[in-house]
Amino acid sequence: MSGREIGAGVISAEPVLRLEGVGKCFRLYHDVNYSLKERIINWRKRGYELFWALKDVDLTVYRGETLSVIGPNGSGKSTLLRLMTGILKPNRGKIVTHGTIAALLELGAGFHPDLTGRENIYLNASILGLKRKQVDQIIDEIIDFSELGPFIDNQVKNYSSGMYVRLGFSIAINVNPDILLIDEVLAVGDASFQTKCIDRILRMQREGKTIVLVTHNADIAASISDRILWLERGEVKMLGDPREVSEAYLKAMRTRPEGSEFGTREIVIEEVEVLDGAGYPALKFSTGDAITIKMRFRAERKVEDPVFGFGIYDQMGLMVYGTNTRLLQVDIPWVEGPGTVEFQLPKLTLLDGRYYLSVAAHTRDGQVNYHWLDKLYFFDVQSPGRESGYLAMDCRVALRSGE
Amino acid sequence: MKSFLAYRELLYNLTLKEVKVRYKNSFLGFLWSMVNPLMLLVVYYVAFGVIFRLRTEGMTRYEFYLLAGILPWNFLSLSVIQAVGSVVNNADLVKKVYFPREVLPLSYLCSSGFHFLLQEMVLLLFLLIFRVRITPWILAFPLLLLLQACFAAGLSLTLSAVNVFFRDVQHFTEIFLLAWFWMTPVVYPISFIFDSLPSWAAKIYLLNPMAHMMLLWQRIVYNSPVNGPKAAYLSPLGLVYTVALSLFLLAFGYWVFCRLEGKFAEFI
Repeated sequence: MSGREIGAGVISAEPVLRLEGVGKCFRLYHDVNYSLKERIINWRKRGYELFWALKDVDLTVYRGETLSVIGPNGSGKSTLLRLMTGILKPNRGKIVTHGTIAALLELGAGFHPDLTGRENIYLNASILGLKRKQVDQIIDEIIDFSELGPFIDNQVKNYSSGMYVRLGFSIAINVNPDILLIDEVLAVGDASFQTKCIDRILRMQREGKTIVLVTHNADIAASISDRILWLERGEVKMLGDPREVSEAYLKAMRTRPEGSEFGTREIVIEEVEVLDGAGYPALKFSTGDAITIKMRFRAERKVEDPVFGFGIYDQMGLMVYGTNTRLLQVDIPWVEGPGTVEFQLPKLTLLDGRYYLSVAAHTRDGQVNYHWLDKLYFFDVQSPGRESGYLAMDCRVALRSGE
Repeated sequence: MKSFLAYRELLYNLTLKEVKVRYKNSFLGFLWSMVNPLMLLVVYYVAFGVIFRLRTEGMTRYEFYLLAGILPWNFLSLSVIQAVGSVVNNADLVKKVYFPREVLPLSYLCSSGFHFLLQEMVLLLFLLIFRVRITPWILAFPLLLLLQACFAAGLSLTLSAVNVFFRDVQHFTEIFLLAWFWMTPVVYPISFIFDSLPSWAAKIYLLNPMAHMMLLWQRIVYNSPVNGPKAAYLSPLGLVYTVALSLFLLAFGYWVFCRLEGKFAEFI
C-alpha cells in the first residue's frame, strides 16, 4: 500500500495535534540521589547534566492521517510520543490536542497478575479512559481479537508473555480513540498476530482515525503511513512523503549507522558491507540465500596476530551466531595498511526477522579490541514460513499408522 | 479537576482491584478484614486491660472502647501507608499511560475505607448483641467518615507526591504513624492525659487533629459519656480546628500533587 495524500480521501486539513517549538530537557544525573541525606550532602554540587531530548520541534498532525516517526536510538522518538500523551510536560513550547488520545507505549502496563483477563480488561480500559458501559460494548471484540477465548477468565499471571501482549494490544486497539499513538509494539507477537495488528491499523485508517506510529522499521513506516517524520538527535531531520523520507533514512543508516564503536584503533574497520550471492550490497535476504560479510580495514602500523570476527544478533540483542578467524583456524601473522576480510556463508539458515551485525578486530586472546563496531549494521531475513524461531533446520515428518 | 471527574470510574476500578486483590490467594479471604482488628484488640486488651488493669472512670467495656478507636485509626494508617508508595510502586503505569495520577493514592483511601465500613458494621452488630446503648450520635457517622477521609486524602496526596522525589518519606511515614498512634487516645482514655500531663502539655497534645477525631469516633460508637465527664471530653474549638485543618490539608495536598505530578514520569 502506498502513502495517501493529505487532503485527499478521509484525511482532512484539520489539525488534531499541534506541537509548537516543543523542547524537552532531561537531567542526566551522574548518580541519582534519592535520599534526603545525599541531597543535603551534595547540596551545592550540581549532580546532573542537561540533555535536550527534543529541540524546537514543530509538528502538526491532521485528522485522519497516519504519521510515522522514525529515527535511530536516542533520537527522541519515544519522548515525542510521551509528550503527545501528556505523560511528560515540555520545557519549552506547547502542545495542543483535540480529541481523545490512547497510547500503546507498553502493552499490558497496569495488568494485575492476580486478576483474570476479563477483570484486567475492565481495569486497563478504564486506565485508558473508558467507562464501564463502553467496555461492555467492546469486550467481546477485545476477547475475540486477543484469541484468548477460554483463558479470559484465568488469572493473568498464568498467561504466557505472548498472551499477555496480545491482550494488551487488543484492549488498546479496541478502545477506539480519536488519536492512537503506537510505540514499537508491532515488533511483538508472532507473525500472524503482527499481520492482524497491521490489518487493524489499516482498518482504523479507513475509519478516519489519526495514528502516530513510532518505529525502527522504515519499511513498515513507508508502507502504512501518509507522512514520515525523521528525528535525529532531537530535531526534525525530514518530514514528508513516506517513500522519500524512508529511502533517505535507510541510505543514511547504511552509510552512518547508529550504535556504538570502540577500540584502540590500531586496526580501523573502515567499511562493512553485507553482500548477496552475486556480490552486491543487500539488506533483504531469504532463508537459504548466500550472504557475505565484507570488511575493509586499515592498520596504520604493523599489527601482529590479529583476529577478525563478526556476530549476528536478534532484535533483543541475543547473539544468534558468531565466529572469528581464530575459531575458524585462519592464522593471520600480521597486517599492515589496507585490506579486506570476507566471511562467506553459502547458506543463510536464519528465519524471519531483523538481525544486527557486529564486527570486530582484536588480539588473539581477545583482551584488547582494536576496533569493535557493535550492532551497527543490520539485514532482514524472510523465510517461507514453514518454521518459527531462529533457525531453518530442514525438518522432515515421518508419519506411520499402526503400532 | 474536570479530567478527574471523567476518571472517577478508574478510581472505582482501581479500588475494586485493591479490594479484590488484597486477600486473594489467602484461605480466610475477606475474613482477614475482621481478623486483623480482632487480633489487635486481643493484644491491646491483654496488655492494657489485663496486665496494666486499665480501668478508669467506670470504663466497663474496654473492648468496645478499644475497637471504637482501633478501627478508624487503622483506616487512617493503612490508607496513608499504602498511599505514600502508590505513585512510586505504579511506576510502570505512570511512565507509560496518561491518567490523573491522584487516583493512585485515592484508590488506596477508598479500598481502606471499604474495609473500614465493613468492620464498623460488624462492630455495630456486636454492640447490638452485647446491648451497648446506641445514641443519636451514630447519625454523625457519615459526617465524621467524610471528615477523616478529607484529612487522610490530603495527607496521602502530599506524601505520595513528595515521596517520588524523596524516598525517605516512605520510611519516615511508618515510624511517624507509630509515634502518632501513641499520641492519640486509642488504647488509653483522654482522661489519662489530663490527669498525668500539665495543662500546657495537654494543650499541645490536643493540637493533634486525630485526637479530636478519635474522641468523636468513641463518642459515636462507644457511648462514652456514661463513663464520666473527662472521658466524654469534646471541645468545640478543637472540632472547628480539626475540620479547618482537614479541609486545608485536602486543598494543600491537591495543590502539591498537581504541582508535582508533571514531573513524576521523569523522576520515578
